Amino acid sequence: MPTAASWTSAPSGGLREARRAVADVGHLVRFRAATVRRRDSAGWFLLGFVVLTTAAAVVPAYTPGAGGDGRAFELLLLLPTAFAGFLGLAVVSAVASGGGRELLDRDPATVLPVSPTTDHLGALVLAPLNIAWLLQAWTLLGTAAYALGPSGLAAAQVVVLLWLATATAIAQVVAWTFEGVRRGHHGIAGVRLLTLGLLGLALGLQMADLLVSLLDRLPTRRLVLGMLGGFGWTWAATVAALLVVLLCAVALGAVPAHIAARRTPRDELRVESGRYAARRLPGSDLAALVRTDRGSVWRAVPMRRGIAVLAIGPGAVALLGGLPWETMTVLPGLVASGGALLFGVNAWCLDARGGLWRESLPVAPGTVFAARAWVLTEFLLVASAVTVLLAAVRAGVPSVAELTALTCTVVVVTVQVVAAGMRWSAQRPYAVDLRSARATPAPPLTMVGYSTRLAVSTTLTGLVFSGLARVPAWEVSVLVAVPFLCWSLARLVRAHVRWADPVDRARVVMTVAG
Amino acid sequence: MTQGGDGAHGAGDNGPVTPPPSGHPVEVRDLHVRFGEVEAVTGVDLVAEAGHATALLGRNGAGKSTTMRVLAGVVPPTSGSVSVAGHDVRRDPLAVKRAVGYCPDVGGLVPRATPWEHLQLSARLRRLDRTEPAWEQRARDLLERFELGDVAHRVTAGFSHGMGRRLSVVLAVLHQPVVLLLDEPFDGVDPIGVEATMAAIDDARARGACVLVSTHLRELAVEACSTVTVLRGGARVATASASDMAGEEGARAYRGLLD
Repeated sequence: MPTAASWTSAPSGGLREARRAVADVGHLVRFRAATVRRRDSAGWFLLGFVVLTTAAAVVPAYTPGAGGDGRAFELLLLLPTAFAGFLGLAVVSAVASGGGRELLDRDPATVLPVSPTTDHLGALVLAPLNIAWLLQAWTLLGTAAYALGPSGLAAAQVVVLLWLATATAIAQVVAWTFEGVRRGHHGIAGVRLLTLGLLGLALGLQMADLLVSLLDRLPTRRLVLGMLGGFGWTWAATVAALLVVLLCAVALGAVPAHIAARRTPRDELRVESGRYAARRLPGSDLAALVRTDRGSVWRAVPMRRGIAVLAIGPGAVALLGGLPWETMTVLPGLVASGGALLFGVNAWCLDARGGLWRESLPVAPGTVFAARAWVLTEFLLVASAVTVLLAAVRAGVPSVAELTALTCTVVVVTVQVVAAGMRWSAQRPYAVDLRSARATPAPPLTMVGYSTRLAVSTTLTGLVFSGLARVPAWEVSVLVAVPFLCWSLARLVRAHVRWADPVDRARVVMTVAG
Repeated sequence: MTQGGDGAHGAGDNGPVTPPPSGHPVEVRDLHVRFGEVEAVTGVDLVAEAGHATALLGRNGAGKSTTMRVLAGVVPPTSGSVSVAGHDVRRDPLAVKRAVGYCPDVGGLVPRATPWEHLQLSARLRRLDRTEPAWEQRARDLLERFELGDVAHRVTAGFSHGMGRRLSVVLAVLHQPVVLLLDEPFDGVDPIGVEATMAAIDDARARGACVLVSTHLRELAVEACSTVTVLRGGARVATASASDMAGEEGARAYRGLLD
């Protein structure tokens, strides 16, 4: 990697800096790739990514009904909204993570001449390494393939792929702008007010029955029109327009990225410089450990910001869409999975460099494990409760079976996710600093693996209980929940046994302590 | 100066809590610690006495910190016998942790907890609230002595390296342990912090505690300790009195032991 320019260097222009930033992204990507621990798994992941993406883009076009007048046409009409939805999710994800993920963690990056432009481009490169992004992308490709059928498929998918890139780049511009504003005077309050205003606006439009007509007039309709005729002038114009917007967004993103980089992250500063009043000594060892762990979670900016988005986002969408009780069972799994991805998959990293000191304290390892598992559990339960409460506002009065199925889902997926998180935390610990809003508890590829496994298991569980919510006898949900719980609790016990082993524990503690 | 594996010392004073059967608060025999393919400690023998401070000196990777971690009950030994305050670290790590005060070499602080919360956690888990009702006053005094009183209720994530080191020493000495283990306590610490750490070591020695100080800084080690043990390549190469390691002569002797 080139070293920083010295004062004797000739002044460099914007283009030269841009070239240098692009080259640095290459260096950083290669550096990150070289640090991947399990290279075989990474290779399989990349192969799986290519296979799944190709399958999503092609297979639905050759299924019965594809490109026809029935369901396929209905999906074609929904495509503009789906395109806009992808952009919305990309914006929320990038804003919540304070401008997107870092190619290089903040602390090691401080000693390297990594420019905000490099940081911006790196965040763009990492944006697809996110299960929400991947699932939405595959859904869009599959929907387009099914809606249009084999005729003109290649042309249509070029437009979809370009839109995925363009929407991600636009989201990055918005995210850096938000981050720049958030770091300004009264920025935190301003961003919160703006977010509430946007939510209120969406809710108002829905209440006034204007949301559907607004969605029907979205500019993304033009993208669908450009996809329809195969390779032709309209398609070429659409592709050209998308390319222009993509390049402009990529270039423009560097401007707010520089502005944000010049400003101090106020929310992190507030946490680190704020005073926390002394409280009474806790009544038990477990209470003392829980208090410390709670502080580690709720005083971390990425955790607070992430959980707010996870708790409110799906709940608000359910509220706007008027989600019925029997379908609401998919929400807790989504929220719990996302919550675990904030720290639960590497739960011991909360202690960071304090891990060695904590391990020298005279307390049974089981108590330490119980405290950490409990704090993760309550973190997920709080988020799920907020989501369900929001979703319940317009869902009417539930039947006993619906309420039981939903309650069972919350309990089952929470224990499922906690068991998985605690298991992974002991198996593959990482030394990470969760001070920054952009920090993640594990490297990007590992996060994709974790999120995929969590999403699959919790979504399937949610779907099982969604079916059970339609069964009049509420007892059935409880009976089905028992084996789910037993299985997850057995895995949790195994994770505890592993943590109780002094050799394994020392390995975890020394790794997270760096 | 004794060289090689014959570093046994005469019996010293017993610690104030549990007199170890051997008379040595710290007794290490043929300690090996292996992490996968890497053998971090390859046969350390060490005896440290109550009422004395012993320095562990050596280059990076000599095995000092790993030895300290074993003594603190944080890392289990792969083989060999390690007794701390009369307790076998493999068989009774909790008893070892109760007897030890440990300042780790890296960080040692939970980033989003305040110094006071660290002290409360330690006090609670060590039952200081029952055995020593005045612990809060001592904790405040220690914070003041190490010039951390003003930041007692701020999270440690915003601390400088030196502040973090000073707080780690405070946490290690809070409960007046039988065995005090300080790993790189002077690293990046200003002169006031060094003085306070020296005073904490003197206090511990004066009340009969066994003190082990691991450091790269020979001069400070000589000032703080009465005995110096030099590790190289994961094994003990020499034990000497601090006066043998002092001054230009000591520097040459020490340099000779590192190669």
